Amino acid sequence: MAVETPKGPALGYTTESTRALFRVVILCFIAAAAIASRLFSVIRFESIIHEFDPWFNFRATKYLVANGFHKFWDWFDDRTWHPLGRVTGGTLYPGLMVTSGAIYHALKTLTVPVDIRNICVLLAPACSGLTAFATYLLTNEMTTSPSAGLLAAIFMGIAPGYISRSVAGSYDNEAIAIFLLVFTFYLWIKALKLGSMLWGALCALFYGYMVASWGGYAFITCLLPVHALTLICMGRYSSRLYVSYTTWYALGTLASMQIPFVGFLPIKTSEHMPALGIFGFIQLIGFIQYVRSAISGRQFQTFLVTILVATFGLGLLGLVGLTSLGYIAPWSGRFYSLWDTGYAKIHIPIIASVSEHQPTAWPSYFFDLNFLVWLFPAGVYLCFQELRDEHVFVVVYALFGSYFSGVMVRLMLTLTPVVCVAAAMSASQILDTYLNWKSAVPPEEQEAPKKVKGGLRGSEKPNVGIYSNLTRVLVSGSILIYLLMFVSHCTWVTSNAYSSPSVVLASRMPDGSQHIIDDYREAYQWLRQNTKEDAKIMSWWDYGYQIGGMADRPTLVDNNTWNNTHIATVGKAMSSREEVSYEIMRQHEVDYVLVVFGGLLGYSGDDINKFLWMVRIAEGIWPDEVKERDFFTPQGEYRVDDGATDTMKNSLMYKMSYYNYASLFPPGQAADRVRQVRVPDQGPVINTVEEAYTSENWIIRIYKVKDLDNIGRDHVNAAAFERGQKKKKPTKKRGARVLRVD
Amino acid sequence: MKSLSFVAALLGLLAGPCSALSVVCLPAEFKPPPVFKNTNLVHVVSVEKSFAREQINVLVENVSGEPQDEYFLPFTAEQIARLGGIEAKDRKDDKVGPFGVDLVEYSSQSDVQYYRITLPAPLKAGAQQTLAISWYYLKPYRPLPASIGQDEQQFLIYDFSLYAASAYPTLKQKTEVKLSTVTIPDYTKYTNSEGKEFPEKHGSKLLYGPFDEQPAGAVYPAQIRFEFTKPVIHVSELERDIEVSHWGGNVAFEERYTLYHRGANLSTLFNRVKWAQSQYYNPATSALKELKFPLQIGSVDPYFTDAIGNVSTSRFRSSKREAMLELKPRYPVFGGWKYPFTIGWNTNAANVLRNTASGGHVLKVPFIEGPKQVEGVEYGDVTVRVLLPEGSENVKFYTDLPNSSIVETSVGIHKTYLDTTGRTAIVIKAKNLVDDFRFRDLIISYDTPLAGTLQKPLVIFGSMLAVYAAAWAVGKVEVGFSSK
Repeated sequence: MAVETPKGPALGYTTESTRALFRVVILCFIAAAAIASRLFSVIRFESIIHEFDPWFNFRATKYLVANGFHKFWDWFDDRTWHPLGRVTGGTLYPGLMVTSGAIYHALKTLTVPVDIRNICVLLAPACSGLTAFATYLLTNEMTTSPSAGLLAAIFMGIAPGYISRSVAGSYDNEAIAIFLLVFTFYLWIKALKLGSMLWGALCALFYGYMVASWGGYAFITCLLPVHALTLICMGRYSSRLYVSYTTWYALGTLASMQIPFVGFLPIKTSEHMPALGIFGFIQLIGFIQYVRSAISGRQFQTFLVTILVATFGLGLLGLVGLTSLGYIAPWSGRFYSLWDTGYAKIHIPIIASVSEHQPTAWPSYFFDLNFLVWLFPAGVYLCFQELRDEHVFVVVYALFGSYFSGVMVRLMLTLTPVVCVAAAMSASQILDTYLNWKSAVPPEEQEAPKKVKGGLRGSEKPNVGIYSNLTRVLVSGSILIYLLMFVSHCTWVTSNAYSSPSVVLASRMPDGSQHIIDDYREAYQWLRQNTKEDAKIMSWWDYGYQIGGMADRPTLVDNNTWNNTHIATVGKAMSSREEVSYEIMRQHEVDYVLVVFGGLLGYSGDDINKFLWMVRIAEGIWPDEVKERDFFTPQGEYRVDDGATDTMKNSLMYKMSYYNYASLFPPGQAADRVRQVRVPDQGPVINTVEEAYTSENWIIRIYKVKDLDNIGRDHVNAAAFERGQKKKKPTKKRGARVLRVD
Repeated sequence: MKSLSFVAALLGLLAGPCSALSVVCLPAEFKPPPVFKNTNLVHVVSVEKSFAREQINVLVENVSGEPQDEYFLPFTAEQIARLGGIEAKDRKDDKVGPFGVDLVEYSSQSDVQYYRITLPAPLKAGAQQTLAISWYYLKPYRPLPASIGQDEQQFLIYDFSLYAASAYPTLKQKTEVKLSTVTIPDYTKYTNSEGKEFPEKHGSKLLYGPFDEQPAGAVYPAQIRFEFTKPVIHVSELERDIEVSHWGGNVAFEERYTLYHRGANLSTLFNRVKWAQSQYYNPATSALKELKFPLQIGSVDPYFTDAIGNVSTSRFRSSKREAMLELKPRYPVFGGWKYPFTIGWNTNAANVLRNTASGGHVLKVPFIEGPKQVEGVEYGDVTVRVLLPEGSENVKFYTDLPNSSIVETSVGIHKTYLDTTGRTAIVIKAKNLVDDFRFRDLIISYDTPLAGTLQKPLVIFGSMLAVYAAAWAVGKVEVGFSSK
């Protein structure tokens, strides 16, 4: 196992260059392991883009490769958010697409014929190899133990917390952003340690790249000032801090403002204010330091108080003033939800409706980090023991990372690097201590070997040491077992939880062979080949990116969710009666409606299960027309069987999901396998849309919106006529009898 | 040893690239000279598949005073566009040949266009010869009713002429229509001068005639409507890439199909319940459910993809006797629907590549290898591109497809997989083919000099050395300020 090989200091006979060679070889193995463990989905399924957002990134990359950078920059996409369109070039983080585009063109210059899809699929694993390397560098800055860096690298390489967002095919911003995050932190530490403008500038450069790649850059924007502030508060202000912070902030902010999507946000929004504030503060401290060296102590006291009070007062006033005048945007809703986990649910259902925005459950820490979870605090404790500037960074990062990871599941991703670093420090501390065979010296002669250097109380305990080999074998053996268990856990989690493309589902045939359920692509391909080029597809926003990417058809709403009202409109169309929906669909020129129905297969991520979110989001805009309460029975149950409420039964979504479903079963046996209920034998009657395509396992159902009736009937009458029902005679209305008075 | 003699025989044929455009230009007022007489003619119209095949077996007699070697066959301009694979041979003697078949171009305005058949030897005055001329029409049918339910029978209409089109008077002729079904609800009836009514129906065959003497250019429009509850498969475009690798000992094939179903459209939208239920008793259907590709024995690693990735519903049976690739499209393809897809596979170079005694190589592959379907497949445009190893030279190629099907050929350069000078690429474009031509071969001979073979390893080795040297040189540069 690669982890166990580095025993640097113990092998006294190795020369420095042999060790370097070993380290390079081990790092290469680690990178290979990191890449290999992410390829489950490619091997099991195929080289395919996963899930939802990656499909948009993939589509954007294809656009970039086909049309060149300038067109990409100015891209106005009229095939999404019909009829509004989306200024795609200005509302995305281009880092990911540009990276793959650059790789594509580089390979093309070398005349290596590689499909852009394969580059996109394999970008995340490739970057994970780089992340492992960056973690190695970062950890090496923290500790002198040569094994810590390698341990951190392999931890980072295979920790499920990171793999979850970087398996092959998960072509999302996080794919490259985590590498950039870790590497920026490394450069920051390096700059801080050396007080070097060069490293500061490099840090700014990679920060700029990070800003171009992921909205999570705000984490760096806030963490570095917090680190700087902590250092200042600890009385550790130094010219090194001044140089590195100032360089990073000035260049980094300029770099970040080059991204159209970010633009002037760094000086206009509250999220970016800490960085700006600390930038000013550090100038102030620098100035005070200078003054202190120039004037006498007494005058300095007065000067200091005046300056501090004045600046803070002015700064605060300015901030409040500018915010209230609207120059600085207050915290955005997404940011609030980081502090109050209930906020989104009440105010922005669209954010709360995404599963990865839910608060993290406790078991998922163990699931994603395994034994790193308990090594992590130990590592942070070790940082406290030394507490140099860079250790303060780990402490600060650990604190914030832990908090944020508890708020949102997806932020587990930002916690993972620091967990790996800290855990590697503690693991290597244990291994270094217990694998040192030479340490068994009598207590009188010498202090215990490998006792931590310069610890808080280290020197007061002279008689600590390891004398018995049994202890060594026991402790290092158990650590070895934990490491092995970690590897097997990571492999298991990656293989079982994180490697499903979710576009393709796998099931087992009775004989144990794999059967692939490919309904999504079946239906998308049908749409792509057999509908008009500009047929507008209405579906819930989850599927917008996939329809754009796979079916290549315009959609009404997609995963970009920039326009809540538009999404609510679709929600209303889905949750209203047909006649109401039909009006909405005509107004939006909808040609086809796509719903996802898992009832036949027991596929639980279907639209009926998401339906309440549609209702809630629609209710947010039209509280009078859509009411969540109406979809629940008087007993407060959400039912789809006979007992469903009338509102439910009449909603377009319910009708489209269950239309004609019962006729697939013998009478009385029609069952919905997701909700485990028997559905009525008499399915819903549908008038304004007609079934156009249903995939093999019924997961995707596509309906065509009927045109207006040729002879001006309404759709209910026309459909009834088609079914051969008699036209209902309008009941003669007899007015109340009145006396003729003429 | 048989193969060697075969190769030698082929090399004799590889005189040079086949003439790209077989079009003869003639003056605008051209009329075929009345030098022949069709003594007896049998016209066979076969509509068993999704393309139509017509054949005339004709006994021609030279009625002029001089030997003649040019026989003209008239078609309408609209027919010419859909016509493919026209071939002529001597009915009595297969060894006589080759017959030249060229499109005569004299006036684009005229509705009547001619194919000129050049006899191998001029026919003496008064002599007779039996010609067998066959050709195919693509997109020959229209469905009636134009839209049907998804479980209904499909009927097609074919328009043709009972009298075989000819530029010469015909003394006696018969027309035979072959079908794949006995359900023929409508067909043109014909009463001849003796009051005898045609056609006679023999199972799935209709026989018209014999007819009386007809002058040159006589037509009798006829129509037949028959049941064809099978997919009407039309591949509008087929791109076939064949990549030969000497280093890998491998020949890779990739084919990209743009497939349409030209049958009757669905009258109502697709109903999954009905479809799922019909799968239990598997009735005849006009939907395309499966395509079977018999690949060359020894083919390996097949794949089947479309625009959005791998299609998991394929099966490959490979044994010593067959290599059958069975594909199911993602959805049943009904009339009017479209399904483009890509397939590819590898085969060991030894299966298709031979070395000649003189150190050259001969590649023999089928020109097309499309699916083998009962209902037949027709191809609009076919582009075959063969990539030979880098540095190949002295390229000659030959195909035994009808000459008139080849539209264009070219030899160029294609760069791929770290090429520096690029590979020799042969591009052959053909049009209006049908799957009856599946066994027609494409034979290519070429030489690869040693320098060309070693070029790539040397280039890669050299560039890696250069990279290391550059890295070493960069590492030697002192960038920091000296601490001393």
